[in-house]
Amino acid sequence: MRKPFLASFLVLLIAFILSLAFGSVFISHKELWGILRGIGDETFSFIIWQIRLPRTILVALTGAALSGSGAAYQGLFRNPLADPFLIGVASGAGLGAVIAMSIQWPYSFWGLMAIPMAAFITALLTVFIVYMIARVGQTIPTTNLILAGVAFSSFATSLTSFLMLRSTSEVRRALGWLLGGASQAGWAAILAMLPYLVMGLGILLFSGYRLNLLQFGDDQAQQLGLNVTRTKTILLVAASLATAAAVAFSGIIGFIGLIVPHLMRLWFGGDYRRLIPLSIIGGASALLTSDIIARIVLAPQEIPVGIITALVGAPFFLWVLRRAKNQGYW
Amino acid sequence: MFRKTFLLIVLITLLLAGCGPDALSGEAPASAAITLTDGLGRSVILNEAAKRVVSLAPSNTEILFAVGAREQVIGRDEFSDYPAEAASIESVGGSMGEYSVEAIVALKPDLVLAAEINSPELVKQLEDLGLTVYYLANPSTLEELYVNLEIVAQLTGEDPTKLTDSLKARVDAVDEKIMPLSFHPSVFYEIDATDPSKPYTYGPGTFGDLLITRAGGFNIGGELTDPYPQISLEQIVVSNPSIIVLGDSMWGVTIESVVARPGWETIEAVKSSQIFPIDDNLISRPGPRLVDGLEQLAKLLHPGLFE
Repeated sequence: MRKPFLASFLVLLIAFILSLAFGSVFISHKELWGILRGIGDETFSFIIWQIRLPRTILVALTGAALSGSGAAYQGLFRNPLADPFLIGVASGAGLGAVIAMSIQWPYSFWGLMAIPMAAFITALLTVFIVYMIARVGQTIPTTNLILAGVAFSSFATSLTSFLMLRSTSEVRRALGWLLGGASQAGWAAILAMLPYLVMGLGILLFSGYRLNLLQFGDDQAQQLGLNVTRTKTILLVAASLATAAAVAFSGIIGFIGLIVPHLMRLWFGGDYRRLIPLSIIGGASALLTSDIIARIVLAPQEIPVGIITALVGAPFFLWVLRRAKNQGYW
Repeated sequence: MFRKTFLLIVLITLLLAGCGPDALSGEAPASAAITLTDGLGRSVILNEAAKRVVSLAPSNTEILFAVGAREQVIGRDEFSDYPAEAASIESVGGSMGEYSVEAIVALKPDLVLAAEINSPELVKQLEDLGLTVYYLANPSTLEELYVNLEIVAQLTGEDPTKLTDSLKARVDAVDEKIMPLSFHPSVFYEIDATDPSKPYTYGPGTFGDLLITRAGGFNIGGELTDPYPQISLEQIVVSNPSIIVLGDSMWGVTIESVVARPGWETIEAVKSSQIFPIDDNLISRPGPRLVDGLEQLAKLLHPGLFE
């Protein structure tokens, strides 16, 4: 494909429109067109503007944040297995959310904000702790980061499971959250997560060149004039910020952040100046598609989107991988 | 430098997190016919008795039908399977914890009846979409169950007196026989024994514990701390229950399969064949059928009194 940006924007646009068109309540494309122009059935237009549009935007933003951060993490760690949850954002957020759920909050704006806020703060706290543990003097060796991240994640995950078993009445809620799902949809969630996404993804978008340099290895990059430790720190903060904000409102959605950057790399090459923006756009499209499937397969039942991402995404990725002509593309 | 950046981020976080629109500033109370405070402490106002009700829990559906509001129920959650005619009502999902908010809105209900199995987030979401939601808290005693029935009757404009009177009479009849007893057989209630070395049982504060006690039994799970604990087989053997009740009989567990479990043969209930299947929905759903559950348990525990 010669025009990757045009192509991926087109795909995103189609996914966006399909996400508005499909739901458990059937709305024909004629009616949808009418509603978008401001005419049409009152209930249907209410469903479109107040339920489907905010959900669609939330899902697109979440996909963008996870895939953008995933691409940055893969570049930062120079590891194809890296995903945005590698050094503890997801397990940290899960722990915070389950702790918050075990408390009876008053039914108020802040009471309802307690869970996403706790998830967000513990996610960042986890990354911070892992970062401090992994630091050696003035450097942060990648291996240390990964190992500290994996060990701390396991610890946090076990603690989460323990807490869930202790307070069985909240298991359904916690499980739903851990499997991913826009449970607290609506415009408020979008407004609350947007600043972090803009900040985090904005920094990543301008870090493509630095990520390219990091691919030579820490020593070479340093010799090429890059302040490696500072760059790593900034990238970690930016990616974690975007991921934590997405996870806080959408729950833990796996696989998207791992696989979309790889798809983009297979199709469009490994230059991070293109890979980051393409992953952001592609992630939004991919999660939108998963969410559409989650909504319609068993309608009016809805399946947590975190199940669909891997269930449908993994075979698709394997198919692309098998067809790929460029051996050892990494 | 990073330390400062981090502190700054936390600060910004705390500041920005409050930027969502505050949609909880409620509407001014109209000259309302029905105003009730629900289980979340929310003030719920209905201008008239609800005519189009969506139930989000099996227990709520059972209560709605029992108080005589069956005609008003236009939507139900996926698990609502009792009474059988509830199956013909449109489902709004819920089996995987996710409800179809679109389907609920499209039904144009004037009341959504939520329960404790629904999250406050869902209540908020529906409330923000302009729906009237009543969150029915779980009763912790049978007396609180009557209050719940009265609340639902009030919301739907029905008269619960006949229902509650008959339930009270049935409970009184059980109490009358059980109260004088000083012998309380020990009971192990099995919810799930996929791992027979540590099955799940009803702990303190659950309906199961409540009903076993009221039916004149001693619930060995009531000694534990968690509401739905896994009890170790060793603990069961030591407690040596004289009766085993199989709440998981609807999932294919039979008396024979319990007898065949290694290590269970030493338990008194197994030796004396005091193992009984029961419909767990009578024990776990906080609706009027809890009284059926109470009667059945009382008969199992004290068969001589109910001939």
